[in-house]
Amino acid sequence: MANFENILGIETSCDETAAAIVVAGKTIRSSVVSSQIDIHARYGGVVPEIASRAHVELLTPVVAQAVVEAGIENEEVDAVAATYGPGLIGSLLVGVSAAKALSLVWDVPYVAVNHLEGHLYASFLEEPELELPLVVLLVSGGHTQLIHMKGHGDYDVLGSTLDDAAGEAFDKVARYLGLGYPGGPAIDALAMEGDPEAISFPRAMRNDGLDFSFSGLKTSVVNHVRKNPDVDAADVAASFQEAVADVLVAKARRAVKQVGATGLAIGGGVAANSRLREAVLDACTEDGLQAFLPSRAMCTDNAAMIAAAGWHRLHSDGPSRIDQGAESSVRL
Amino acid sequence: MLILGIESATAQVGCAIGGHEGVLASAHSAKGRRHVENLAPQIDFVRRQARIELEEVSVVAVDLGPGLFTGLRVGISTAMSLAHAVGVPMIGVSSLDLLAFPVRFSPRLIAATIDARRGEVFYALYRHVPGGVQRVSEPRVGTPEELASELQARGEECLMVGDGALRYAEIFGELKGTEIADQGLAHPTAGSLVQLAHAQAMREEWVQPWELKPMYLRKPDAEINWIKRETPS
Ligand SMILES: [Zn+2]
Repeated sequence: MANFENILGIETSCDETAAAIVVAGKTIRSSVVSSQIDIHARYGGVVPEIASRAHVELLTPVVAQAVVEAGIENEEVDAVAATYGPGLIGSLLVGVSAAKALSLVWDVPYVAVNHLEGHLYASFLEEPELELPLVVLLVSGGHTQLIHMKGHGDYDVLGSTLDDAAGEAFDKVARYLGLGYPGGPAIDALAMEGDPEAISFPRAMRNDGLDFSFSGLKTSVVNHVRKNPDVDAADVAASFQEAVADVLVAKARRAVKQVGATGLAIGGGVAANSRLREAVLDACTEDGLQAFLPSRAMCTDNAAMIAAAGWHRLHSDGPSRIDQGAESSVRL
Repeated sequence: MLILGIESATAQVGCAIGGHEGVLASAHSAKGRRHVENLAPQIDFVRRQARIELEEVSVVAVDLGPGLFTGLRVGISTAMSLAHAVGVPMIGVSSLDLLAFPVRFSPRLIAATIDARRGEVFYALYRHVPGGVQRVSEPRVGTPEELASELQARGEECLMVGDGALRYAEIFGELKGTEIADQGLAHPTAGSLVQLAHAQAMREEWVQPWELKPMYLRKPDAEINWIKRETPS
């Protein structure tokens, strides 16, 4: 008991309602993710109020399923961890409220988890022996960051996006090309049939510092299609994706060198992109680095990573206060 | 039969525990919109004051709305998880019913109102019947002017309760035979919730946590826009 073996994780920061049971921050006993993609698809993006309502409806059954699939009883849950930020405030409130209620009834600690820290721990769930220090490239619809993970709970943010997140650029370009929502998988699939060198899109700030900028890229895609209405959409998708992957990998490599880390891991929804994964692997082989590419399920939002990060937090800082709230914008 | 009631539809958030002997303990706070921060500590405090364990609760009651979405979400999500964890059914009560309950002995027409923001109020009308009140109009969202003309058309003596009436006191104050109740009756209370839910619980009128449906009365903006776009005018 004192080691808080079974942690129930809850994740509701965006459009996935998720719960998981993870043992000692390492072993996943269950991980249930109920995606709302279908609900938001017709609006071309996540609608906060609709997401919050769906979380209220879905969370209780998702938690129940996570406990059943783990093959444990409610009484065997040793702590409850939930994402308290960053994310959509209305959605975060649902998970935080539920987690506190469960911790009150079961009389176990509540742990507030930073969603970004969750993504960092996704890699450890699949590769428990991963060595630190490590540079993590975190890329999703909400964030684009390069993080130096020096130790457990000890991070430096080396670079962030100055405007759009990488995933946002994917969504915007996909919407412009009429590929629907979510944009990442749609562009990834279309790009397979295109030529990544057909169009040379700009690589903003590629050789300059560790921050990112993606808003100009979207504008040049739009301008190019306007000027060349007959252009092959597959070539546009492939060339756009190439530009994003090129900038992300160039900066990640530089970050690893700068801090003297021995490995590079990726996380977040965009980390599921096949071209980015290939480029990261190539770069790491060339530079003699340990590369870690989590599975698709561990790249996208899930609650197992929250439970894992919660376990580490619980051991380093102890339980969170039950009067702690949720915050839409928190940093690592 | 012990009832735990959770109420969070307005600027106020609170909870209470009670049963056939009435409310045993309650706590409320209304400052600073700290629903998610305050509710869990309140529940823990109230159950200690009532000297019970949460496992002893037999029904979890919750205010279903209408009200402010963010506050409602905290209360409903907390209540659902509590009921799920204890393994007991739930009773949902409308925030407007809760507002009318404390003034149930008034012989006048009762208008329960909640400030819905954006120039609108949530409202429903009630009338005294032996043992309580009866709702005489469905819960609705509309402008204060709409409610005022509805009350004027009825031409009855009317008692208005809730923060909606207070917010638009200038408009409702003009109405003949209408009185606006003060701040003390402006928010639904968890005590009323426990009392109303207890009566329902005796009749076993409850639902399972996954069957509970919040009463929003207003669609998300994106959905309204989408429907407008899809419906040729
Ligand atoms: Zn994420």
